[in-house]
Amino acid sequence: MRPYTYTAPATLEEAVRALSEAGPGTKVLAGGTTLFDLMKLDIETPPAVVDIRALPELAGIDTAGPRELTFGAGALMADVAADPLLRRDYPALAESLAKAASQQLRNMATVGGNLLQRTRCTYFRGGPPFPCNKRLPGSGCAAIGGLDRGHALLGGGDACVATYPGDWAVALIAFDAVLDVTGPRGTRTLPLAGLHVEPGERPDREHTLAWDEIVTRIRVPVTAAGRGSTYHKVRDRESYAFALASAAVAVTLGEGGAVEECRVAVGGVATRPWRCPSAEEELAGAVLDRRSARRAGAAAFAGARAGTHNAFRIELGIRTVAEALRIAGERALR
Amino acid sequence: MTDTEESGDRTAHPWPPVERTPRVGAREKVTGAARYGADHAPPGLAYAIPVVATAGKGRITGLDTAEAAAVPGVLLILSHLDDLGIAPAGYVMADGYAFQSLQPLLDDRIAYRGQPIALVVADTLVAAVHAAGLVRAAYDEEPFAVELDAAGTETVLQEEALPLPFLADVVVGDADGAYERSPLRVDAVYETGPQHQVPMELIGGVAEWHGDTLVVHEGTQSAGALRGGLARQLGIDPDRVQVITPYVGGGFGQKNSLQPHLAPLAVAARRLGRPVKLVLPRAHTFHAASFRPVSRHRVRLGADRSGRLLAAIHEVDQQASRRDLLPATYTEITSRLYGISSFRGRQRHVRTDVQTPGYMRAPFEHPAAFALESALDELACAAGRDPVELRLSNDAGADPVTGKPFSSRHLAACLRRGAELFGWAERPPDPGSMRETDGTLVGWGVAAGAYPVMTVPVLARLRARADGRVLAEVGGHEMGQGITTALARAVAGDLGIGVDRVDVVVGDTRVVPHHLTAGAWGTNSTLLAVHAALLELRARLGVPREGPVDVAAAVAAAGRSAPEQDGAEVVAEALTKGPGQPPEAVDRMRAGLVAPAGPEYPGHVAFSFIAHFAEVRVAPAAPRVRVSRVVSVADCGRVASPVTAEAQVRGAVVWGIGAALSEHSEVDPRFGGFVNADLADYVIPVNADVGRIEVAFVGEPDFTLNPTGVKTLGEVALVGVAPAIANAVFHATGRRPRSLPIRVEDLL
Amino acid sequence: MTSEVVTEFTVNGQAVRLDLDPRESLLDVLRERLGLTGSKKGCDHGQCGACTVHVDGRRVVSCLLPAVQVNGRSVRTIEGVAGPDGALHPLQQAFVDHDALQCGYCTPGQVMSGLACIAEGNAGADDDIREHMSGNLCRCGAYPGILAAVRAAAGRREG
Ligand SMILES: Cc1cc2nc3c(=O)[nH]c(=O)nc-3n(C[C@H](O)[C@H](O)[C@H](O)COP(=O)(O)OP(=O)(O)OC[C@H]3O[C@@H](n4cnc5c(N)ncnc54)[C@H](O)[C@@H]3O)c2cc1C
Ligand code: FES
Ligand code: FES
Repeated sequence: MRPYTYTAPATLEEAVRALSEAGPGTKVLAGGTTLFDLMKLDIETPPAVVDIRALPELAGIDTAGPRELTFGAGALMADVAADPLLRRDYPALAESLAKAASQQLRNMATVGGNLLQRTRCTYFRGGPPFPCNKRLPGSGCAAIGGLDRGHALLGGGDACVATYPGDWAVALIAFDAVLDVTGPRGTRTLPLAGLHVEPGERPDREHTLAWDEIVTRIRVPVTAAGRGSTYHKVRDRESYAFALASAAVAVTLGEGGAVEECRVAVGGVATRPWRCPSAEEELAGAVLDRRSARRAGAAAFAGARAGTHNAFRIELGIRTVAEALRIAGERALR
Repeated sequence: MTDTEESGDRTAHPWPPVERTPRVGAREKVTGAARYGADHAPPGLAYAIPVVATAGKGRITGLDTAEAAAVPGVLLILSHLDDLGIAPAGYVMADGYAFQSLQPLLDDRIAYRGQPIALVVADTLVAAVHAAGLVRAAYDEEPFAVELDAAGTETVLQEEALPLPFLADVVVGDADGAYERSPLRVDAVYETGPQHQVPMELIGGVAEWHGDTLVVHEGTQSAGALRGGLARQLGIDPDRVQVITPYVGGGFGQKNSLQPHLAPLAVAARRLGRPVKLVLPRAHTFHAASFRPVSRHRVRLGADRSGRLLAAIHEVDQQASRRDLLPATYTEITSRLYGISSFRGRQRHVRTDVQTPGYMRAPFEHPAAFALESALDELACAAGRDPVELRLSNDAGADPVTGKPFSSRHLAACLRRGAELFGWAERPPDPGSMRETDGTLVGWGVAAGAYPVMTVPVLARLRARADGRVLAEVGGHEMGQGITTALARAVAGDLGIGVDRVDVVVGDTRVVPHHLTAGAWGTNSTLLAVHAALLELRARLGVPREGPVDVAAAVAAAGRSAPEQDGAEVVAEALTKGPGQPPEAVDRMRAGLVAPAGPEYPGHVAFSFIAHFAEVRVAPAAPRVRVSRVVSVADCGRVASPVTAEAQVRGAVVWGIGAALSEHSEVDPRFGGFVNADLADYVIPVNADVGRIEVAFVGEPDFTLNPTGVKTLGEVALVGVAPAIANAVFHATGRRPRSLPIRVEDLL
Repeated sequence: MTSEVVTEFTVNGQAVRLDLDPRESLLDVLRERLGLTGSKKGCDHGQCGACTVHVDGRRVVSCLLPAVQVNGRSVRTIEGVAGPDGALHPLQQAFVDHDALQCGYCTPGQVMSGLACIAEGNAGADDDIREHMSGNLCRCGAYPGILAAVRAAAGRREG
């Protein structure tokens, strides 16, 4: 690991200042479960780190509000996952966290840091000799034509097919979450859908946040579809693993099981959290049953591009969406 | 001291009734007090971290250590540019000590990606890690081959390459002719991929010099090999090497020989005049030690219409390194699991550019059983027979290969008892016929396993103390298999004292010589020595050959009658070896070389047996296999320690779940080495993957084999788990898995 | 060179004050500086759970925790679980009674996780325990015993 300077400011204002003063390349450290991990691999090499884990301004969860749910960016995954109201009213959000990582990691990791976790592509994490445009721009992509069983089917390009591995952002994007962001130029609001970017020609650029900006809060508009929601995750083992395919789905059903409101996003299969408007359109007004659920899944993966070993995850992804819709539909009727 | 061959005493020794003694050492383990190799922290400790090659094969043309050396706290950087003054230790299966013949850091050759090219030593761990990341190497790369079918591999016949009698192809009768004439035939190819042992304890430890004596604290299954090998490498007397390894955080074959980091570590410690600790990063362990090689099996079974086996042909290709051939014994069990009158085996090695593959729990038997037991399931389907019935009707009497009797063989009892415990009679024969309301498919499968019973030379010393305690110093290693529990029970049971009155020392070359503990021979071999030492102890104490002993009183009395015994303790030793073993075996053991006897002994052949029954569930949406229930019944002779024996079997079932469903070391032919080199990507089971596991034992002592009646367990327990699961998958889905692991994509 | 950071915290109730390189993980500080070698390193990347300790009463993986981040906090390790007289904690005793270990290398992490699992209220049903103990790998495969031990210490019977 490279040496770095460490500061732990007491307030958000101080943190913003510390960040600007330390200069580009500086990273904020929250739970560290991504950042410190990648620093140990010499993949992240920030010269300076500003610790925001305990900033009071980033704390707090409010799931009772009439208009929106708010999560301080510094709230712990475990605390959000265990929030009783969230579990009752937005099971997809709670499950996306509960099914991620392990309880130990959820006790460290923040819901803000979680959004900015980096890909688990083994060629990215493995370092040399593997070429990786994300790690070393211009070096190439080892996953293309390589061991790409876990790589992205959606949103990839010729430069990179690394999967965005997180679960929480997938659930959040289904619920139109927005972020409050603070930096030296003030405060702004950013839809989560505008945070992550596809690799394109610049896979090293993963999001639209400036280096000196801090996410302070995640906000989710209240919706009745929350109750009829689920986060369904398929993995190589029963727990403590990233998704082979996942789906965040929320529905409200009207007369005779007709879909009124519908939200679908998929995870583990795309280069960023992936909302599926075409799947939502497919379902709008339709009766939710096995066939329509399957059609929605197929619509979600209509644009999928498979590599060498990952084609099976198209079918798996379709079934995962369909299964999530089945579970969400049952919940919506309760 | 007695030097018994197999102790003529074949009568049942008065072993205690089977009682559930808790695991010895459990208290130390649950409190964190147990000291593993890297827990040793002598004053003045320095830290080492290796740098590994990123090229798949070739030569190092430049090594730039300047930036690394400039990191504050860096003390030393060892590489081939330095004269380390160490000799190779030799390949463990060719009269050497190391997992492979190649010793890195001696020249500029790179044989495989991941090979160490430098060792950085610093005052602190952060400095060592930092500096290691700054070492730059340039390579002249050469083409390499890392897969069985790649261009540039070389295939050699084992019989020709390793012309040793026990490695010759097994040929009994005219299997090809009998196969051709058989009315029912199965002909299929099965494959198991590379896998890694990944014990939770990382490879590494501490090397320090006390004067001119090297002391090594490192988790190992072969303290003797480390001692002998380091002596050879450093050119010093073996008596000047001490290896201390009271607890090993899991071995599973990974730690069964000397690994190449240790000699350079010893050199660094000597140069610096400080103890040096090295703990390999988990990623390095995927290349720093052996692994289970790929193996491909073509199995042909011929049978009559009732499924009675007439012929079996088992041809195996096993991955090898360029330098060393891991002697393959796949056909040792496939020729003997059933009473097949005509058998032909053929084992070949395919040389590739990897570190030398080696032993991983049931190294040959797990893949071999996957092949044979899957084929047998296919045969049962073809014959329309129940798979348990089919196996029972093909049971063997005498050993089909040698014609000798088995020392004991209770495979049929394992199958019958297992079927009963599992409720097998309820199984509908047709695949896909058990389905839950949500569409989940349920399948039941069975498979059998066998593992050779081998015996190694062991020296055991018992010290009966004036305070009534007994100290047992035994050449063996505690890797969690429960050897200390079995030994403590044996001593306590024999003398009629509490287990808490017995102290067991294993894994310490300062007290006794150590043979490698692997192949499940640890418990039976050490018990044999302890059994003999107990008889000797009783003689020295002047007490009868049987019955409870008041140790304190007997020691006091012995002290009065034999003043040279000094009154503080009475010591007895025994050195035992396998039946029929030549005296040189003991010399080899003392030198830290491997010297197992068996499974063919003068009057019989000896195997342990097991039957596994598995229930799997395959959900319709994501057809990932879940193992909801397993019943395993083992024939391991007398159960030396029920608590730890059951744990061994349960643990092996968990291993089987991993082997069958998720473990696979991924190879990218463009880069060589293994790609998924961490514990997130090399997928082993977690708690939530494991359902109910029920374990039972036949429990019949095998006094033909040895006077303790104990066969072996730790390896056989894994043999057959994977095919039981695979056969259950077939029963659930109608799809026949012919390669492992069986992942979701295989059933979509 | 990295500037050192004065870090104060308690370990098993004892106050500690150290000048730390911010690169040092809590695990390495416990093991290499404080001689608390009960916490184990199995991966150094949060992938195994062998290094599990409690910080402010919650279980974390100490290998991914920069030690400077425990400034002002309290750390509890396996060495702080048994009573001062050496009496085993009921969960430790349950690990012994249910033979929830083999080689013992993962065991300190399992015990720390098990304690938290019960305290969190995640030991209510067997499947809850299985799920919430899944962040601790055990290569020896002692999972059934671990399940039984946590269940017993949580005061439940099988089911
Ligand atoms: C073994 C393992 C398994 C895992 N499994 C899963 C899984 O199954 N599913 C899943 O979703 N995740 C999983 N994770 C990832 C884990 O959830 C993330 O590492 C974690 O959520 C990141 O949060 P953190 O607080 O630790 O972030 P950090 O590591 O501190 O930071 C991550 C990144 O975000 C930046 N950052 C952090 N907070 C902010 C902020 N407020 N504003 C701006 N930038 C910020 C940091 O600078 C850094 O670049 C796993 C991780 C590990 C190690
Ligand atoms: S060592 Fe910390 S999780 Fe493995
Ligand atoms: S007891 Fe050995 S790893 Fe768990």
